[in-house]
Amino acid sequence: MTLLDVARGPALEFAFAVFAIGVAWRLLSVLLLPWATERSAKRPGTPSRAMGAIGLFVRHLWPAGPFRRNALFITLNSYVFHLGLAIVVFGLAQHIVFLQNAFGVSWPSLPSGVVYVVAVITLATLAAALAHRLTSPVLRLLSTFNDYMSWFVTAAPVATGLLAVSHLWAPYETLLAIHILSVALLLAWFPFGKLMHSFLVFLTRSETGAFYSRRGVEI
Amino acid sequence: MPERETIGDVLARRGVSRRALLKYTSTLASVMALAPAASRAMADALAKAHRQSVIWLSFQECTGCTESLTRSFNPNIGDLIFDVISLDYHETLQAASGFAAEAAREAAIAANKGKFVLVVDGSVSTKDGGIYSTVAGKTNLQLLQETAKDALAVIAVGTCASFGGLPHADPNPTGAVPVSDIVKDKPVINIPGCPPIAEAIAGTVAYIVTFGKLPDLDQRNRPRAFYGDAIHDRCYRRPFYDQGLFAASFDDEGARKGWCLYELGCKGPVTYNACATIKWNGGVSYPIQSGHGCLGCSEPDFWDKGGFYKPLSTNTGNDAEIVGAAVAAGAAVGVASALIARHRKRKAQTAKAAAKTEGQP
Amino acid sequence: MNAEPTDGGFRNGPLTGPLTGLAEAVFGEIAARLQALADSGEESVIDLRSLPLTPGDRRELEERLGHGEVCAGLDVGGLSEVWECGYAGVWWVRHLGEDGMPRSEHIEIAAVPAILVTHAGDIASAAARLQRDAARPAKEDTRHA
Repeated sequence: MTLLDVARGPALEFAFAVFAIGVAWRLLSVLLLPWATERSAKRPGTPSRAMGAIGLFVRHLWPAGPFRRNALFITLNSYVFHLGLAIVVFGLAQHIVFLQNAFGVSWPSLPSGVVYVVAVITLATLAAALAHRLTSPVLRLLSTFNDYMSWFVTAAPVATGLLAVSHLWAPYETLLAIHILSVALLLAWFPFGKLMHSFLVFLTRSETGAFYSRRGVEI
Repeated sequence: MPERETIGDVLARRGVSRRALLKYTSTLASVMALAPAASRAMADALAKAHRQSVIWLSFQECTGCTESLTRSFNPNIGDLIFDVISLDYHETLQAASGFAAEAAREAAIAANKGKFVLVVDGSVSTKDGGIYSTVAGKTNLQLLQETAKDALAVIAVGTCASFGGLPHADPNPTGAVPVSDIVKDKPVINIPGCPPIAEAIAGTVAYIVTFGKLPDLDQRNRPRAFYGDAIHDRCYRRPFYDQGLFAASFDDEGARKGWCLYELGCKGPVTYNACATIKWNGGVSYPIQSGHGCLGCSEPDFWDKGGFYKPLSTNTGNDAEIVGAAVAAGAAVGVASALIARHRKRKAQTAKAAAKTEGQP
Repeated sequence: MNAEPTDGGFRNGPLTGPLTGLAEAVFGEIAARLQALADSGEESVIDLRSLPLTPGDRRELEERLGHGEVCAGLDVGGLSEVWECGYAGVWWVRHLGEDGMPRSEHIEIAAVPAILVTHAGDIASAAARLQRDAARPAKEDTRHA
């Protein structure tokens, strides 16, 4: 069995299993928690829970006035990164056949050249995010293994994917195997680290929005 | 057996001019990516060399490799390889049969002891003592061991002999192994392919005769001259891959335009062979040019790589079932942890209420 | 022979292949090698089959090199075509098999391409055969068996 066979077979099987167990576990254990009893009366004229949740979500798409100056770089960098990652993951033909194989749906791909450029930009935003984390004294103090690990498992597939399509450094079968293994690592780490925010961000922001809007507070 | 004659003598006797030899070596030099000027030196060296004795043994195989070698060459220039070698034993091609064939093999081995090149096509059965493939009561395993002992070098022709091939495919009922698993004390050159390209077989033998040494081999013991590049790297459809233009089915617009077959499961990017340059049937075409993806037949275990039509970038495991079971398991753990949390909360509330009641006068 | 330029059967892709600019590079290489032949008598060969020339590139190269004074055909294990290009000392050599499919194709930069030179061994055996045939009556089939 070659490295590529291991990557495409058992490694992905393991990663999918860990990912599915972890995500189901964490989501259900949060969603099924008993809701706190609401003790305050709803302020008159405040929006419904749903509207409160949506309102906060929309407002937080861009940093609020006092924070804008400091948060501008990290906000912009994060937007470029998230958009770039989505374009790379869902735009490259090789990824679409992977997703089609897994979910049965398919869509037209973007030209590979466009995806390569976007991937390079995405990798640059990841580098910038790490540099920011390492150079900002406060952020550095707050950072734990979780932050660095989550950064690494995200950056690795982007970097190895770029190597694989450019056929640089090693034969394609080795590069593809390493790329798939890095994706397996990402999937296995996903539910247990900060990457879980891709699911939880909707819960936390919605709940916060609903909680405060009921009290007439707009944050 | 005119083995002491030089190849030049044999050719002269047959009325084959040195121009024909030069034409042959210039073809060889070209397919082996040798320096073009080497063809003249090769022709001179070949003319002075003695014919190489070759003993060919067939084990668990389909004869496709022999067909590839004998049928694809056109007369005169291509069959020069049979002037370069003295094929002293080949069960499929020889006239002798039965006991006479056995005697012929023993005689050929005795006459060329330590000097012959042993060519093997087919894998070697090892399960239950190798009884699943026998010739004249002898297992392939025995025959290989006793013949390889006296050989100068061994050439494993075809994917079965090189890597186990089809007989080795899961569940491998005969315990098939490649030649290199049995022969450990002699150089073994692998010329895989299902079948291998005739020029790769002939070129390798001609190289050994011409230069008196083994050609440069890769990590799977394949001659780099033929297996140095991936099909993908020499494929004329490569520009379409680079642009992200893929055929999505065998009869769509992309297929008609000759776009890359990656999405249809082409294994060209991970397959090392010379199909894209030497091509087949005298340079007419090769699978990708004919519209079908590469199966990866010159790589180990090509039957067990998740399917010929599965794109390389997809997973090969039984993931839907695994994910289903994993979601169920994760859900169970999640529900359990939520229930425990609820239970704790209730307990805490009860305790708090009890403390309150107790505290009252 | 060679009435019209062909792709030599090297169908490396669509027959109307695009131009990649490789013909230009090969042309430059030939120029450098011909200069070497002129200066020091150093002969050299460029193997065309191992270069990823598209049919368009091949045609472009053939047109740019042109055809010169000499054109030879060989019938040895299939046909071969040899012609001197528009630049003396540059030879185009194309070997076909019995089936008419190309076997190899190269540019030789030399006074005479190797395939045209009669080998000493062939001369010796031909001389012996001629001696023998000269001693025999003319009507007998004298061809070598």
